[in-house]
Amino acid sequence: MVTHYKCPNCGSDMAFDATSGMLSCPNCGRQDDIETFPEENIQQKFAPEEAKEYHCENCGAVLLTEAETTATHCSFCGAPVVLADRLTGDLAPAKVIPFTISKDEAVAAFRKWTKNGRLTPRGFMNGDRIKKMTGMYVPFWLYDINGKAEVAAIGTRMRTYQQGDTVITETDFYDVYREIDLSYLKVPADASEKMDDELMDKLEPYDYSDLKDFRMPYLAGFLAEKYDFDEDALFSRVESKIVPYIDSYIGSTISGYSTISYTNKQINANKYKVYYTLFPVWMVYYDFENKEHTFAMNGQTGKVVGKPPISGGKVAAWFTGIAVSTFAALKAISYLVGGVLW
Amino acid sequence: MRKPVIKVSALILLLTILMMLTGTAAFAQTDQHIYDQAGLLTDSEISDLEAYAAEKSREQGTEFLLLTTDSTSGMPIIDYMGDFYDNLADQTGMENAVLLTIDIGGREFYLAGFGNAKTRLDNERVEMVLDRITPYMAQGQYAGAFRETIETADRYMEYKPGVNPESIFLQTWFHAAVALILAGGIVGTMLYNSGGRNTTTAATYIDRDHTRVTRDSDRFRNKTVTRRRIPKNNNSGGGFGGGGGMTGGGRSFSGGGRSF
Repeated sequence: MVTHYKCPNCGSDMAFDATSGMLSCPNCGRQDDIETFPEENIQQKFAPEEAKEYHCENCGAVLLTEAETTATHCSFCGAPVVLADRLTGDLAPAKVIPFTISKDEAVAAFRKWTKNGRLTPRGFMNGDRIKKMTGMYVPFWLYDINGKAEVAAIGTRMRTYQQGDTVITETDFYDVYREIDLSYLKVPADASEKMDDELMDKLEPYDYSDLKDFRMPYLAGFLAEKYDFDEDALFSRVESKIVPYIDSYIGSTISGYSTISYTNKQINANKYKVYYTLFPVWMVYYDFENKEHTFAMNGQTGKVVGKPPISGGKVAAWFTGIAVSTFAALKAISYLVGGVLW
Repeated sequence: MRKPVIKVSALILLLTILMMLTGTAAFAQTDQHIYDQAGLLTDSEISDLEAYAAEKSREQGTEFLLLTTDSTSGMPIIDYMGDFYDNLADQTGMENAVLLTIDIGGREFYLAGFGNAKTRLDNERVEMVLDRITPYMAQGQYAGAFRETIETADRYMEYKPGVNPESIFLQTWFHAAVALILAGGIVGTMLYNSGGRNTTTAATYIDRDHTRVTRDSDRFRNKTVTRRRIPKNNNSGGGFGGGGGMTGGGRSFSGGGRSF
């Protein structure tokens, strides 16, 4: 099933505009609210059940897609298309955070980011060799997690004082016990096999106040993928993500002790709600010295992540600069205090 | 343009000559630094040390002196040393001196700082010098002990009064280590963060309305008490006369002694 959004004015293919948050027509400039877009302008064509081949409704060309793709452009005429049957039933996303950064803004934000690279080579800092920028909705699972933690620990309070020529150390031991209700909301984990987990983790956090109920027109004009891992497969990853959070919360509930050693710590976390959600990510493919570097930008906040090239010379310069100035400063202080330079 | 240059260089020349004259005048108070009454040193050691002591004395503006004796004729070494110095100072008019006295009969030695050396080589520094020369004394290397005294005292006296010259914060290797560790840490952090930082924290996804402690208890269990005696400061080899004092002739000094 291939879906086009036809402009009610002129019949062109409309695409989602990140700046205004509306469907907009590249031809006549008409903008339509996604919630109220007229049904009759959504052109859908069911593909035969067997054939996994999609045809562009504009030009009839075969759409070249990967199995995970849910939104793309026709490679022949460029019209934005959404593959609706890959977004229905089990595959229907519950929520979406629409792009708020348009392509031009993304390019500008990326350039600004390259200028801040204090360890990147000079040539990289121009930010003028962007090969390709792709706006992509990446599938995530958001987990609402509740659980219980039961912790037993031995805490000590130490008091040291001097009596005559004897130092006396008094140590009080306490049995510490805590029972804690835990609740974490909408902890994300990316469900796309293609995307680097570490990269996607660093793109967080997203602002959930922009979280919208999913509607297909948001995808028009962007690439989108469906999930490779289901909610159960990813739960262990989310668990490993929140365990440090839980540990730090437990630690914050036990205070006033000099030392704490845990004798028993039981954490039981369950997911009670899961949202299949699409997050907006700008992928930036950048050519530098015959190598392609890939960066990802949070399509909502503009945060850029990805390993930039590192200039050995700049690293050495920073290291030497800091070391020499620290050494000089220490020498100056010791000269002022001690009166001797060496 | 030429005239001022000649004037300036003439002035510099004059100043240099003046400084050399006054310098020799001020420090030519004594030409003998070693009074080896006990005969502990060989002739070549004496001539070596005389030269070394003379050089360092000129640099510091303080005379480095060595006195050895077989017997203090029943007097405490401090008094014996005091009388000797009063006598010497009255004769030569010397003001500033570092004096190491070795009583081979009583197997004791005493280090004293007079005049400006009283503050520049204060009691704490005297003790530190004593720590360094005690091994030499125990091994009978009296020339080595005096050389070490001059070397260390000379070094310590460069520092402002009251500062511990062996303090780790004044050591060059410490400065270098701090500089390298700091630079490594900062640049390392920059490298680590160059690919973007994780900015989510424990507070990002927490649901504060439903995360809470439902039961807690902190029950006292038992108590232990440990006592530790503070070890007394006892100088190895037996220290005495720490804190300096006053000679019979009214010259006050910093100082300290050990037996060996």
